[in-house]
Amino acid sequence: MLLDYDRLGWLKVALLGFTTLVAAFLLLPVVFIVLLSFGSSRWLAFPPPGWTLKWYEELFADPSWIEAALTSARIATMTAILAVAIGVLASFALVRGDFRGRAILRGLLLTPMVLPVVVFAIAVYAFFLRLGLGGTTAGFVLAHTVLALPFAIIPIATALEGFDKSIEDAAIVCGASPFQAKLRITLPSIRIGIFSAAIFSFLASWDEVVVAIFMASPTLQTLPVKIWGSLRSDLTPVIAAASSLLVALTVGLMVVTALLRRKLQT
Amino acid sequence: MTEPFLSIRKLRKAFGAFTAVRDVTLDIPKGEFLTFLGPSGSGKSTTLYAIAGFQDPTSGDVLLEGKSLLSVPSHKRNIGMVFQRYTLFPHLTVAENTAFPLRVRGRPEAEIKRKVADMLSLVRLESFAQRLPAALSGGQQQRVALARALAYDPPILLMDEPLSALDKKLREEIQAEIRRIHRETGVTILYVTHDQEEALHLSDRIALFHNGRIEQIGTGEDLYLRPATDFVAGFIGNSNFLAAEHLETAAGASTIRLADGSLISGIRANGSFQHGQKTRLMIRPEAFGLERKPKHAELSVDIVDVAFYGERRRIVARTRAGQEIDIRPTSSAVAASDASPGKRQVFFDPATAFLFPA
Repeated sequence: MLLDYDRLGWLKVALLGFTTLVAAFLLLPVVFIVLLSFGSSRWLAFPPPGWTLKWYEELFADPSWIEAALTSARIATMTAILAVAIGVLASFALVRGDFRGRAILRGLLLTPMVLPVVVFAIAVYAFFLRLGLGGTTAGFVLAHTVLALPFAIIPIATALEGFDKSIEDAAIVCGASPFQAKLRITLPSIRIGIFSAAIFSFLASWDEVVVAIFMASPTLQTLPVKIWGSLRSDLTPVIAAASSLLVALTVGLMVVTALLRRKLQT
Repeated sequence: MTEPFLSIRKLRKAFGAFTAVRDVTLDIPKGEFLTFLGPSGSGKSTTLYAIAGFQDPTSGDVLLEGKSLLSVPSHKRNIGMVFQRYTLFPHLTVAENTAFPLRVRGRPEAEIKRKVADMLSLVRLESFAQRLPAALSGGQQQRVALARALAYDPPILLMDEPLSALDKKLREEIQAEIRRIHRETGVTILYVTHDQEEALHLSDRIALFHNGRIEQIGTGEDLYLRPATDFVAGFIGNSNFLAAEHLETAAGASTIRLADGSLISGIRANGSFQHGQKTRLMIRPEAFGLERKPKHAELSVDIVDVAFYGERRRIVARTRAGQEIDIRPTSSAVAASDASPGKRQVFFDPATAFLFPA
């Protein structure tokens, strides 16, 4: 290849330097937050005068933080299940279907990814208020599912496109009904896509804040909303601790995804 | 007359304005190995897919032991099929792939175990039972596909160019396996291929497809030695076609005049021709010899090139009328010095030549 990395010569050094710089710029704020969460300064001073775990103790001692984290996990899990279920059905229609308006439907389902979130949030807020869904778990899950759908459909549809339909036909000739063949052969074969879809839609809901702010009620808050609210009232290192846990879970899920992908692909 | 095992009646399939299969009618006795041979787009695969139930024919019928299959959905037809592409279930082991048709039929576990072992030994892959398809070669994958297709003892096995993705050596190896399996199981096989050698090697009978019709059906020998049309003659084996004018036919033997003016008589007539009708004379390359023999016709040619092909020599020659012909005598019958470039006579038995309308 013309642009083979090994043949770049001195450019290799420049490329490495630039990449490191970009990565550092992106990661540094996160690193600071994590460091601050262990710092002893009440005022988030850097460098911290000392190290402590007391912000984490405070975090776990406060039921409202635990409540918010559990709410987030519950909503994200339900969102992931719903988005994957709809994603699978939609992907079959988009990949296998042959009907008018297929391209339009595809575009429509992927719109939430490019639509300004605040516009969507206001629209959903007004709409759900009228339906009585504002401030309810169901409302949260529905709104987040719409946002998560593109992240579910893209990996599933891609996996389905790469799956040879002859394999499904073979299962049918073997005596499986078309539904059985999809359930026992096609879905397990595209499980990498389904798994990625589940993780991505979980994360899409887990760290979503804009729609969540509009949907939240005093009794129903997700973790990002709780962080946002605390930031505005009092700036305590407990927020840094909560943020660190949020980041840890996200990173953990991404690592699990990468490991499972590698395992499933061999 | 006894009921044929599998019967295809006036099968027709149109895709919009394009008719892929035109009124194909065919009876297949139990246990036969029948090959659908033909160029791509000739309708052979479409016919197979109609039998499998993946395509609904526009009209016509497919009968198995007298009962129509058309209203039966694919998964209830109880047909085995091996596809052109590798279709093993990627997440299941070789043993589980083979067991799949038995599992969906809800057979007892003991029977499944026994049958899977039988099938894997039939295709000689016993030691691969616990492997995943990705860890198998292409040839092994198609053998597992064969085991899977036969696991439920289907009355008919359909094979859609199962060897086309394999290299030549492997192809020949698996052809031998397929012959053996056909012999051992007695299953009725419908086999689709565009490879005439494969068809000749494997089949009891060959149905040669052309433009959605069966051009000729018969044994490989029938098609090779007694082609019904010039398409069959041209498709099966190598052939030379020489422009000729028909003069007369008496007692089944025709006399013709070639483009270079020479007269040849004693040609086996393949249909009836008018006096003066333009025709084409087909002569197999291996029918030519360089030695004069009684009753053989002769042709004056200019030898252009000679090449050694192992068991045969390939001689490219030009007739006096300027038409190039292909001559392939056995190497032992013709010494290299005899076939040197230059003008000479070549000979052939007119009874092995065929006359077709131009």
